[in-house]
Amino acid sequence: MSSLPGIPRVALIWLLVAQVLVILPHLVHLPLWMIALWLVAAGWRVQIFRMRARYPNGWAKGGLVLLVLAGILLSRGTLVGLDAAAVLLIATFTLKLLEMRTRRDALVVIFLGFFCVVTAYLFEDGILAALYSLLPVTALLAALVGLQHSGFAERPWPTLRLAGGLMLQAIPLMVLLFVFFPRMGPLWSLPLPSDKGVTGLSDSMEPADIAELSRSSALAFRASFEGEVPPRAQLYWRALTLERFDGRRWSQSSYADVPVAPQWSKAGEPLDYSIIMQPSGKRWLYALDVGEMAQDSGRMMNDFRWQRLRPVDRPLLYQVRSWPAAAREASAEPPGLRQALQLPEQGDPRSRAWATELKAQYPQGDALVAAVLQHFNREPYVYTLRPQPLGRDSIDDFLFNTRRGFCAHYAGAMTFVLRAAGIPARVVAGYQGGELNPSGNYIQVRQFDAHAWVEYWQPGQGWRSVDPTFQVAPERIERGLEEALTAEDGFLDDQPFSPLRYRELAWLNQLRMSWENLNYGWQRWVLGYQGEQQLKLLQNWFGSLDWQRLALALVGTGGVLLGLLALWLLKPWQRRADPQRQAFRKFERLLARHEVRRAAGEGARAFALRAARQLPEQAAQIEAFARYFEQQRYAGEPVSRVVLQQALSDLRRALPWRLSR
Amino acid sequence: MRAALKLLWRRWLARRIPPAASVRLNQRRIFILPSRVGAIFTVVLLLMLLVGINYQNSLAYGLTFLLMSVFVVTILHTYRNLAGLVLKAGGGGAVFVGEQARFRVRLESREREHQAIALGWPPARLVMRDVPREGQTEVDLDLPATRRGWLRPERLRVESRFPLGLLVAWSWVDLDQAVLVYPRPLEGELPLSAGLGDEEEEEGMRARGQGADDFQGLREYQPGDSKRRLDWKAYSRGQGLLVKDFAMLSGRDLWLDFDSLGGDSEMRLSLLCHWVLQFSERQQAFGLQLPGQVIAPDYGEGHRDACLRALALFGVRS
Repeated sequence: MSSLPGIPRVALIWLLVAQVLVILPHLVHLPLWMIALWLVAAGWRVQIFRMRARYPNGWAKGGLVLLVLAGILLSRGTLVGLDAAAVLLIATFTLKLLEMRTRRDALVVIFLGFFCVVTAYLFEDGILAALYSLLPVTALLAALVGLQHSGFAERPWPTLRLAGGLMLQAIPLMVLLFVFFPRMGPLWSLPLPSDKGVTGLSDSMEPADIAELSRSSALAFRASFEGEVPPRAQLYWRALTLERFDGRRWSQSSYADVPVAPQWSKAGEPLDYSIIMQPSGKRWLYALDVGEMAQDSGRMMNDFRWQRLRPVDRPLLYQVRSWPAAAREASAEPPGLRQALQLPEQGDPRSRAWATELKAQYPQGDALVAAVLQHFNREPYVYTLRPQPLGRDSIDDFLFNTRRGFCAHYAGAMTFVLRAAGIPARVVAGYQGGELNPSGNYIQVRQFDAHAWVEYWQPGQGWRSVDPTFQVAPERIERGLEEALTAEDGFLDDQPFSPLRYRELAWLNQLRMSWENLNYGWQRWVLGYQGEQQLKLLQNWFGSLDWQRLALALVGTGGVLLGLLALWLLKPWQRRADPQRQAFRKFERLLARHEVRRAAGEGARAFALRAARQLPEQAAQIEAFARYFEQQRYAGEPVSRVVLQQALSDLRRALPWRLSR
Repeated sequence: MRAALKLLWRRWLARRIPPAASVRLNQRRIFILPSRVGAIFTVVLLLMLLVGINYQNSLAYGLTFLLMSVFVVTILHTYRNLAGLVLKAGGGGAVFVGEQARFRVRLESREREHQAIALGWPPARLVMRDVPREGQTEVDLDLPATRRGWLRPERLRVESRFPLGLLVAWSWVDLDQAVLVYPRPLEGELPLSAGLGDEEEEEGMRARGQGADDFQGLREYQPGDSKRRLDWKAYSRGQGLLVKDFAMLSGRDLWLDFDSLGGDSEMRLSLLCHWVLQFSERQQAFGLQLPGQVIAPDYGEGHRDACLRALALFGVRS
């Protein structure tokens, strides 16, 4: 810490700039009064610098702190938790700048600023946010450089250039550390930002919920296959099953929460793929049936869904191997099968009657299911995201009156009918399909790909999945929601500017795909670069994971990088011998072209005199150079390369032009 | 133990950076370590790393690593800011004890710009200067002169924390500078002596002084005045205690004599110093008589400096 207490102007300028840049990304989740507080504090600070205001005294400071605490309590309802902590951090950052007097205070503000930047990452971690964050970091470094100035430096730009240069030079080393630094699990559990606005499936379903999701183009997850990507009609991503029905709403049963893997047997060819899941705030994972994962990714629950111990609150990468042809609970009757037959006590009499009728007609379960599917196919059902509201007996109303709806309606109605006909059945909620990114060999599944389908159980063959929506709108399954809705504008009609609406524009689509690709790489290689991913990459590079070897590689590469940087910075080969001698050598060379050569052992003065005699027209210039040279070399005059060079070029101009010799 | 270590350290430094009037800082002469700010910065980085670990946030990891790397890269920059700097000893004038001795140091840049270079002798505050590219700056450093004789400062600390203040690069250079410190002038009785080996100073003085303005007059005795200059005759006439005040003496050569004074030798030298200055100012010729050294009567600046130098170095082992 320098003993000089004052803060240089350059440092103050960059601190104010850094403060703006640090706080900007926080604006979305800061309460409004914080912004007012910040503007007041910054204005006050500028006035202090212009000597038009005083530093706040003890009372003012105490009052401000109380005000901030009260404000946080009012707007966040608590003083603990991440949101409140973030507001508190920004408030501290703002107020500390106001009362900053000494260099030590300025250092505290700068370090707080770095911390605020890190906090912003917890709320937003996209490519753009990351790139943007380089701006406040550079400004903070510039402020740090400004603090070290002797007080003679006045211009802010060289300081910024130096800070930027430092960052650029640090990047190779940073990448090295990023790749090699061992990642570990969280040391303790921490609160997460609550207003992340996660949209996605929930553990209960009313048809309107899925219609809601269909309006969101937010990414749910990406899946990249090791082999060929299966056709999209086979991509049924299971999230959870809904087994309880109360007449309107389907929800998860407690039975499904038993963490005991059901019995199943592998068959056919497996599919290997990895999934990068966006934070959902829920515990379940997505997989094609029947998925297998590593123990630490999650565990299989009683209804074949995969679940983690803790909610997925940050992007998560996991590997899955799926057996699409596996038989599920085929050999024995599942213990909780009764739940798959549950129906409300009463209601929907027409549907129940129709089920009884079907059961009489088709005593075989499979035949009955086929008949129901055929019913959906033949009768004039319409696939739409804007169905009419349903009456009190919602299933009856849908099956016999409106006949307009989307996947949730069809899946719910079919499950109801199957149960009424005595066939154990449940609704499966998840996602269907996804968009293939041709360049990346991966599939992007968005919230509007949310889907619901049906699975029913038959002795001897176990659970089987059927999709009534396919009977009504096969294009929804084969080509996606957008195709299925060409007749209406329900698709993303809340988002007029979503690039997904403009897929027909080829170049725009191309641009969008490239951007998606970039994001995918970012997710996979930067955000998702945690434990498993790191191990895999390092294993690829080094064959085995010998920590000693890794440490050696890290230190070795780091050393080489630093060595190169040192060479570049210090340029030892460029060490100038001596500016005066160099100028004198040029002087000699210039005169040699005019046939005046310095004899061995001839002194500078003697040589100049002789040269002046031989070139009388340029005597004045020769004399001037010799005088400057002597003054600098022997009389202790300030060393100035410029003066000598000026004298040299005067001489050069005075001499007749000659190339050499 | 501490003193022994200090001695070892000084010997090692003397071998590594031998005293010279011009020193160019290079990798043999520059030391570099994190500063206190650097230590605090490390703690902040650890906290940021904790955020990265606990929230499994790659960007937090990334920023932490970026700042860590900036820290490492700054080692090179801090070193570079000091490396290649040339320090040259400049002249410094002699001073009196109690004054500030001024040492002039010239900082020269052969290649790059050197920013915020701090110079000085801790614990005193260091002086900060920028050295322009291929230019030079002069710094005047003050050191209080407490003892007469040659003032040789401790090794000079040159340090730089530029650009980030996280590291401090420094060197201890000995520019072989020395400033002569004269005794502190002390007003007081005139240590006149008539010549070499004269025991009866007052008598001799008077005898020799006949016909000339020996003294301007008499003044009241003040404690501290030499009893030898008391005017006993006036006392006997009942005029009280009067002291003969020699203000203007001319004619015969005057000798300032060390042995004619009382008190410890430092005080005597201080008195002599005062009178050397007084006489020189009045262009009065005088001689200086120190045990083992005699400077013949003369006047002028050269004579004054020779006398002061003799006083400064009296009894000082060089």
